[in-house]
Parts: sequence; structure tokens; C-alpha cells
Amino acid sequence: MTKVTTLADAVASIPSGSHVALSGFATARCTMAFAHEVIRQKITKLTVSQCVGAMDADILVGAGAVERIIYGGGSRGRSGPHSCLNRGIEQGTLKTEEFSSLSLTFRYLAGSLGLPFIPIRSLNGSDILKQLQQVTPPVVSTLKDPFTGDEWLVLKALVPDVSVVQVQVADEDGNAWILGPRWDNEEQAKASQRAIVITERLVSTETIRQYPERTVIPGFRVSHVVHLPFSAHPSSVYGVYDFDKAHIKKYAEASKTPQGLQQYLDQYVYGVKDHWGYLEAVGGMKHLDSLVADPILGY
Amino acid sequence: MTAEIEYAAYELMVAAGARELKDGEIVAVGLGLPVIATFLAQRTHAPHITILLELGVVDPEPLEVGVDGLSDPRIWYRAKAHTGFADMLGSVLHRGIVDVGFLGGLEIDAYGNLNTTLLGDPKGKFRRFTGSGGGNDVASNANRTVITIRHEARKLNEAVSFITSPGYLGGNDERQRAGLRGGPSRVITDKAVFGFDPVSKRMKLESIHPNTTLDEVLSNMSFRPIVPDQVPFTEPPTAEQIRLIREEIDPGRAYEGS
Repeated sequence: MTKVTTLADAVASIPSGSHVALSGFATARCTMAFAHEVIRQKITKLTVSQCVGAMDADILVGAGAVERIIYGGGSRGRSGPHSCLNRGIEQGTLKTEEFSSLSLTFRYLAGSLGLPFIPIRSLNGSDILKQLQQVTPPVVSTLKDPFTGDEWLVLKALVPDVSVVQVQVADEDGNAWILGPRWDNEEQAKASQRAIVITERLVSTETIRQYPERTVIPGFRVSHVVHLPFSAHPSSVYGVYDFDKAHIKKYAEASKTPQGLQQYLDQYVYGVKDHWGYLEAVGGMKHLDSLVADPILGY
Repeated sequence: MTAEIEYAAYELMVAAGARELKDGEIVAVGLGLPVIATFLAQRTHAPHITILLELGVVDPEPLEVGVDGLSDPRIWYRAKAHTGFADMLGSVLHRGIVDVGFLGGLEIDAYGNLNTTLLGDPKGKFRRFTGSGGGNDVASNANRTVITIRHEARKLNEAVSFITSPGYLGGNDERQRAGLRGGPSRVITDKAVFGFDPVSKRMKLESIHPNTTLDEVLSNMSFRPIVPDQVPFTEPPTAEQIRLIREEIDPGRAYEGS
């Protein structure tokens, strides 16, 4: 049975107040089309988690869709800070549980294994840990190793309601390939109650069966498959298209102030009917074709 | 080789960073100057090092190093493996087999603690930076850490306002008692190289760069490191190291201002 739906239907399956894990990392494989549709459908009070802050989380925070962020910090590198996330943290309007890349991956890993908690060496002695010790209900604690008697920091497992994963290739059942480095995505998708796969290419199951070792998320974990080209734009999808440096710069400038972000949203999110309208607004086929990746370089 | 060789401060930092890596070591590398230094070590005395990028990239051979960040696919090119955090930071770093964590810093204190989280008062008014990413994990789990940072008084403080990535915490055996491995071994700035006192774990001046003075080094710090009676000059980069940096590793001079 096919799980292929429209983006609007997949987004409509997420009630306000849900915990949504996102696949983005800075400017790579960000769930941008998804984020735009969440904003258009006025879904709010979300908890968003991801190991490294990315453009998908930033625009959702800027648009007021997010109540709480669980992440390991992050920026867009040389193209600047995530201004909406940072503003929310500085002004205290965004509830924040801040970890490191590995500690949040461990929380997903524990969730994916059905374990209640996981010990870790990271975070000890840091002010990140001191802040986490103030979180209620608790997400960190300590435990004595029953074999050696050593004291260990333990983290509570993290089980998001849904993981939204931007992938290169999937079939209609949701068997999904992630090519290139995949940071937290495998643990994140498997920790979650279900996954929504957003794919650049929709292929036959016969194609999946030819290269089964590439499947990172098996279809039985997936509730919806959305097939949308350039759905991570302006971030990159390894092997498919490069990030759009000029558009990211435009977003970086706009998101420096709430007013600027509102204008960006008016133009590229509210001002278009759907993802196809967005693609026209950012320059259409002529522009998008200039971003298509070289098959060897991957960018 | 007696002729004076012209070089930029960042080229000396790169050479000093490369010197810290031994052949055959596994190195977890942060972007920027550490990447250039690691590639320099690989092309000179340490051809058998293994380079890890935290998001899941092993031994990349990028065509250009002036990338936007770790998420820029240019820095993933020609890798031997593409994996993820659970592998790179988990079954390699947390497992205990990363020899060197090589990090760039924004603010460091007298005991090598790093702040990349915020500027100001964490409970009051502050400006947010980037937070940890894999920085805390590398600083907590690598067998030693090498840190590069710009030599400015506002970046070199007695205590940081927020410990993102632990060094020796309050000094002495405090790091060990917190259950952490390793610790910072070197801090390389554009004016000097520092180590840490083996007992107190306070930062200790190891060498000052040619063309600087002890006074210039100390007056651009907000704390006083341990200063031995004799402080040598940092070994300058060789002509071959400079050629490799300029012609092969960073021809775009992407990190000149770092």
C-alpha cells in the first residue's frame, strides 16, 4: 500500500504541541518545504529536537511555531548565527534544553533501543550539565555502575512523536536512502514513534531491492512519504543539489530582525500557495538547475 | 636555509598546530585553522594520521578548504567513510580511541576551559554564540586536546563566563574527578604557544612567536599564565610548509584572517 501523500496531508497529521525531530544540520538536508507548510497550517507549540541547529528549526522558531527546542547548539558556519533561535534563547521566549551533539545522539540512541536511559562521559563538569540539571521533569541524573561502582552521568531516552527526514531516495513504502554523512538521522528516525520521509526522488521498490544496503530507514517505520524536488532548498542535499549561497545570505539578512523575518515569510511562505510556488519565487527552474550537483563531487 | 622567510601569523599557527600531531594518530578536527594544520601534518611528517569530522566523515580530501562549515559538502569530498555522530563521536571518540581533539576556540580561561555558548551573564543579559555541537564531546573524551584561538585580552580570561567544553575545570585533579579523559595539552595563539602545569594545570607559556615580545604576549591576556625564567621563540614554519599551505592546502587563503 502506498504511503505517498501530499506535503499538506503529511503536515496535517501533526497536531500542535507535538515533539518533532528534524533532519537538518546547519545548511544540509534541512526540512525547509516541511517547515514552510507547518507555518502555513499554523501549527504551534511544537517541541523541536535535532543534534545541530539548522535552518529548518530556525525558521520554525522565527515564525512562532516552536515552544521548546532540544538541541546541541549550532550555527550556519560562515553564513552566520541562527538569529531566530539565538533571539529566542537570549529573550527567554524559547524554552531550551541544550546538549552536545553526542549527548543528544545518545538520547535518541537509547530511545531507538527501547532503553529508559543511557550513561555518558560527555557534559561532566560543564555548565551545559548545570543548566540541564535545572530542567523539569528531569532529563539527567547519576547512577552507580553495578559492576565497578563508578558513578556515571545518565541521560533520559528521547522519543519524539515524529521524525521528519529529508532524504535523496525513497520508494512509496518509505524505504529511504540517506547518502553522504547522516549525523543523528538514523538514531533520530528510529527513536521516534514514526517517521515522515521527504524525498527528492521517488523510485520503485525494485530499485530499492537492487541496493538494500543503502536503506537507512526501512519502510515499516514510516507513516508518510512526500515526493518533492528541491524540498531542502536553500540547504543542500548531498549528490542532488548544492546549498544556495545567495538565498541563504538573503535569509541571513532578513532573519536578523523579527520585522525582516516577517517580510521573508510574507514573500516566500505565506505569499506562495505551496512548494511549487516557492520554487518559482526563488528563481524557478533556470535558477534551480544551477544548483544541481556534480555526480562525482556530490555538490 | 639561513635566509629570512616571510610568513603570516596564521601560517606559523598552522605549522605549530601540525607539530602537535604524531604520525598514526586519530584526530577529531574542528573547522578552520585546525583543518589546515591537520592537512599540513598529513602532507609532511604524519602521512598515516586518520582525520575525523564529527558529523560522520573519515579522511576527506577536499579540493578546497575555504568551506562554509561542517555541513558544506565540499569538506566531505573523497572521504573513506560517511557515517554519523553515533559512530564518529560514539564508537570512536567516546570509546576512547581519539588521540587528539583539535579545536578552534572563542574564549578560553587559565585552566583551558572553553566557552562557545554565550557572552555575558547566563542568568541575566547575554549574547548567544553557537553552543557546543561536538565541541564538548571532543574536549571531554579525546586523549588530549589542542586549541587554537586569537590572542586577544577579551578571549583569554581568568575564568570563562560559561564552560561549554571542559579543560581542567578549577585545576589540580578536578578534571579527573569529574570523570573526564585527557585534557588540553596545547593552546596556540597568534602570539604564543602555551602548555599546562602538570600539577596545578594552570596555563603555562611554552614559547612566544618571533617578532613578538613577552610584554606584548602578557599585556594582551586578561590573566597571568605561568611564565618560566627562559621562554624560547616558537619554531617558525619552514619554506616547504609555507609552500604546502599556500600552493596545495589553502591556495584561496581562506583562513588568513583566522
